[in-house]
Amino acid sequence: MNLFDTFLNLVPMGLMQGLIYALIAIAVMIPFRILNFADMTGEGTLAFGACVTAKCLSAGLEPVSSLLIGAAAGFLGGSATAYIHEKVKVNTLLCGILVLSMLYSIDIRVMGQPNTALFTFPNLFQYLPGDDGTLTSRIALLAVVDIALIALIFWFLGTQHGMAMRSLGSSMAMAKAQGINIKVYVLVGLGLANLIAALGGGLLAQNQGFADVNMGFGTLINGLASLLLGEAIIGNRTILRQVAAPVLGSVVYFQLISIVLAFGFQPSDLKMVTAVFVLITLLILAKRKPGKSRKAVQERLARAA
Amino acid sequence: MLYQLAARRARNMSQSSPNSDSTMLQVERLHKTFHAGTPNERVAIDGVTLELNQGDFVVVVGGNGAGKSTLLSMLAGEVLPDSGSIRVNGVNVTPLGTHLRAKYIARVFQDPSIGTAAALNIEENLAVAALRGQRRTFGRGLTSAQAREFQQRLGTFGLGLENRMKAQAGLLSGGQRQALSLLMAVLREPQLLLLDEHTAALDPRTAEAVMRVTSQVVDQAGLTTLMVTHNMHHALQYGNRLIMMRHGAVVADLSLEQKRRMTVEKLIAAFDDENPSLRMVSA
Repeated sequence: MNLFDTFLNLVPMGLMQGLIYALIAIAVMIPFRILNFADMTGEGTLAFGACVTAKCLSAGLEPVSSLLIGAAAGFLGGSATAYIHEKVKVNTLLCGILVLSMLYSIDIRVMGQPNTALFTFPNLFQYLPGDDGTLTSRIALLAVVDIALIALIFWFLGTQHGMAMRSLGSSMAMAKAQGINIKVYVLVGLGLANLIAALGGGLLAQNQGFADVNMGFGTLINGLASLLLGEAIIGNRTILRQVAAPVLGSVVYFQLISIVLAFGFQPSDLKMVTAVFVLITLLILAKRKPGKSRKAVQERLARAA
Repeated sequence: MLYQLAARRARNMSQSSPNSDSTMLQVERLHKTFHAGTPNERVAIDGVTLELNQGDFVVVVGGNGAGKSTLLSMLAGEVLPDSGSIRVNGVNVTPLGTHLRAKYIARVFQDPSIGTAAALNIEENLAVAALRGQRRTFGRGLTSAQAREFQQRLGTFGLGLENRMKAQAGLLSGGQRQALSLLMAVLREPQLLLLDEHTAALDPRTAEAVMRVTSQVVDQAGLTTLMVTHNMHHALQYGNRLIMMRHGAVVADLSLEQKRRMTVEKLIAAFDDENPSLRMVSA
């Protein structure tokens, strides 16, 4: 079973990637599922977080504070998108694309170059006991980060602020009538989502040992695929499931990617594979809507007749 | 009767009327023109002056385009006036946006799907509404004590909603969502309750049930209420005062006694009358 062996060898790597990219899946989930604000900024803030983290590391800061500064930069990126939307009233997706184009130039300004190697600088994972080149301890640390994030978001959504945020995603009119300041909540909500994306970027850079201005490219669709996959597995009927879905989905998604690679696909084929996967999932979801499909209508008419 | 009406109007018009303790809503010479300076220019509200006493339940009727909904939106803060002022319990709210007025004003929308948050369950919707216009914190959004209180209060509606506290609002019928919306509006007692054709999207039987709940909550707390409706039966059956609007102005203002002697037919006929107050009052 050559295929199986190849896949088995890829499992730890896939797990590690899945746990890191889970952060961008969370960053997709918050605007799309909680705020009802279609946002693409995550693709830019992931790289932004990575580049700012890289700059901090190369400037001699230690890994944790570098990571946090990178994350804070992501917050600014997300709130910039919300601010543009509020002021210019254009389509939310366009606002995100505007910001992520700006971030590309900013990234290069920040680093002074399109990419930065980080091998010579300390990184977060060196603090781990027995970081001996195997991935086990790294996977454990990343799992702790992911679970902590799930717990934190779950807690937040149950607070008075969190419920206000959820209600405006459902009905802006209702939220306003309850005295909820929509501008502020959207600004902070998008900021936090992109803070998490940037945190993912910072972790990714420290894990792989370099930051690149292009590293966000295509990650949004990965995040979306992960979110849809996670929701297909555990659903999103409760808040906890909704929050855990992107993380679980991301872990499973990267295992599926390993299988695809084991079949002999090239890494460059993966974007096509992912896009087709998202498309198929959306098709299935559209079909599954009860009573909406042509077939269901025909059956209903037949029964009535 | 005519004298009474004239006296009320005179009082409303007078600028010097002090903020007596019983005046809850004071609207003065409100004007609003949409698309000003364009071929689509339309005067929506043309000098409305109106006073509601504490505990008044005022029904607003009028044809399409009469300005009822615009007036309500202006009171809610969705539409800001070109000129004039709005005071709630003496507080000038004229420049405040919707979310800032929410402290004083609660609203039930015409569309059942926007007055409640579909993704939140019944008790979560109520918990969000329990903090209407209040400072929100990182404290728990919903406590078990609140949940019990909400369940008990919903139980008084007799609609069976108290058994579905964990059901998402999106799963409820239009009538159930309007009933939920009503409890949400009065959970934190508003100084002014706005009902924006809140039974218009419902079938007649459900509309009756929602009106029954409406008068229950309004009477219980003695809420100052402004209700826009297209249902002339409801307009005559509920409230202690009736206002008719046309072309953005108040053209008739009936007291409870005048309302009692009105019929649906006469009310509808008055819609097109040159001087509706005369016809209605001399009824």
